[in-house]
Amino acid sequence: MRRGRISERWWALLGRFGLTQQRWGSWPAWMRRLVKATTWLGLGLILTAAFGTWTTSALAVAAVVLLIVVPPWDRLPNIGPYRTGRWIPWLIALGFVVAYPYYVNGLPQLPVFGPFPNVHTMVVAGIFTMMALGLNFVVGYAGLLDLGYVAFYAMGAYVCGWFASEQFAGQHIDVGAVGLQQGWIGIHLSIWLVLPIAGLMTALIGVIIGLPTLRLRGDYLAIVTLGFGEIMPQVADNGNNLGGFNLTNGTGGITSIDGPGFGHGTVARALHLPASYLGAGNLDSLFFWTVIVLVLITIFCSARLRDSRLGRAWIAIREDETAAAAMGIPLMRTKTWSYATGAFFGGVAGAYYSSYNGGAFPDQFLFQISVFILCMVILGGMGSIPGVMLGAWFLAYLDQEGLSNVGGWINSHFNTNINVPNYEFGIYGLIIVVVMLLRPEGLIPSSRRAAELHEGVHDEPLYDVEELNAPLTEPTV
Amino acid sequence: MTAAAAPLLEVDGIETFYGSIQALRGVSLQVREGEIVTLIGANGAGKSTTLRSINGLNHPRRGSITFEGQDITETPAHDVVKLGIAQSPEGRRLFPRMTVLENLEMGAFQRSDRAGMQEDIDRVFALFPRLAERKSQKAGTLSGGEQQMCAIGRALMARPRLLMLDEPSMGLAPIFVDRIFETIVEVNKQGTSILLVEQNALMALQVASRGYVLETGTVALTDDAAQLAQNEDVRKAYLGES
Repeated sequence: MRRGRISERWWALLGRFGLTQQRWGSWPAWMRRLVKATTWLGLGLILTAAFGTWTTSALAVAAVVLLIVVPPWDRLPNIGPYRTGRWIPWLIALGFVVAYPYYVNGLPQLPVFGPFPNVHTMVVAGIFTMMALGLNFVVGYAGLLDLGYVAFYAMGAYVCGWFASEQFAGQHIDVGAVGLQQGWIGIHLSIWLVLPIAGLMTALIGVIIGLPTLRLRGDYLAIVTLGFGEIMPQVADNGNNLGGFNLTNGTGGITSIDGPGFGHGTVARALHLPASYLGAGNLDSLFFWTVIVLVLITIFCSARLRDSRLGRAWIAIREDETAAAAMGIPLMRTKTWSYATGAFFGGVAGAYYSSYNGGAFPDQFLFQISVFILCMVILGGMGSIPGVMLGAWFLAYLDQEGLSNVGGWINSHFNTNINVPNYEFGIYGLIIVVVMLLRPEGLIPSSRRAAELHEGVHDEPLYDVEELNAPLTEPTV
Repeated sequence: MTAAAAPLLEVDGIETFYGSIQALRGVSLQVREGEIVTLIGANGAGKSTTLRSINGLNHPRRGSITFEGQDITETPAHDVVKLGIAQSPEGRRLFPRMTVLENLEMGAFQRSDRAGMQEDIDRVFALFPRLAERKSQKAGTLSGGEQQMCAIGRALMARPRLLMLDEPSMGLAPIFVDRIFETIVEVNKQGTSILLVEQNALMALQVASRGYVLETGTVALTDDAAQLAQNEDVRKAYLGES
């Protein structure tokens, strides 16, 4: 836990009740944590009670938070090189996330926001978390504004459609697919194969889009990516007759995409893994647990890449492109890598989503989605993994359930008849404006990024624009 | 002057453009092994553009650049660094949110020999003890002089054969200017050739062995530094004498 500061004014107030700063400091750390955590939880519980939604499970939530926050976990001895203490609170938290489907129905009603999100919402939020972390490679790390990220999402979804549905009826290929009906046609690969394939193919598209566009800077790059984001759904819309070849099935989209599953192999049976997700009764839970694994992999890659040589190069480019070039960082290659990495995770997320949805439709891949994912990154804090996750989870939750719940609460309490979800993007805009005013570095900022926003960085036109011989920017000599 | 072997760096009649604006109109210069060569001239004469042409940030449209006998006219910037030309750019351009140590490590981006890098970090810290004190401080919070030290140190981390310094004295307090010039001589003694761009022509001509005077994109004058410092036109134009 970070050392929180308590301001002088509060100390003066607390001192009157006999709690001086010295006395507070003399208490053991776990006790201070206990007091702080109980104070905040107590306030929360009082608020809950005030809204008339008090239940015993609110106490259970409080107990869990205390268990994670209070004990001095970081004092535990290390196992080898691993700092056990740092991991335990996270593992407990992860345990509670994994168990979410089991206790979600017993959770109390929240004031204003209503019930806790259901498992379906959590799956979608998980998928968006993955996409936002993917976009974070491009926007957060390398500092390249990408307004067409939806193109990668669409690509992933369609790759999944090609390799795991009856789209190509002339083919008859089955590699580990599950849940096939009698007399099936088309290409059916196991979703576990399709996910990396979709990622790689999308990364390839990322490179193809990146090579011509990444020579541009700032606004120009944003405009070109915006264009690519618009091209993708158009291609999907009109791809039902490419010289007689039906690639995307046009406006109808590709439907009945296979679900994941582990089949009937001996290993799967021994481990009690579900044979086919779509056939299982707890379908949402299975998709939820799988998306947790995918998100964990994404987090792992994000953190490792950020601290790698490549990650350093991304951050250097974001801070000062000219200096980075002068240090011998190959700009194009480094930027293209960030694009490809971001595209990879966008593609995997898109493929997984289309498998969950059972289809890929061109009207899913609109410009709004690009903006939506960008909002998640900006809201949470560009370049910060926990920040981006929080932003993604929160906005996806609002989109799926939160806004209509809040709308219901408003309508029933104020006797109005407002369809709040209609104003979705207006509300996101408002949230972003408020966050930018109060906390421009995002909710949970990365330390570097926060400093950049408060102090500004060099931004000067660079050679690669000039090399194109396009008179976009001409620095005075 | 004794006729040495082929020069380390040979720039031959380069013409460099920004879009359609011509910045260099045929600049030729040489840097020999172990020399300090200075490039002086007024604002907009093309000093920085010459450096940008050499290090691959702005490839010249005509003319050629040869480094150690290898043609680098069209070599991209990251390969130029690998060949052994490093630069401390104008305005220092540190990575403000990285620590001093991280900045130095970025300077060695093209290298992978960890032991050698550590050696060079120690060498930079020996040159600038001030940087060692501040190694975990964010570069953006350093004073101007310390930033310049960090920028030179960062360039040295590439273990260059030729170090190009662009206006190292710009905006510094006089005491720091002296320190920086002392260090330049010291680095040169350790075996690095230096191409020094300066507005502070007096100081530059004191430490350099030869100098080039640039005017509106061409070399107007070239001579031994001592001779240049005596030249009447130079004294009028750049040394503030009437």
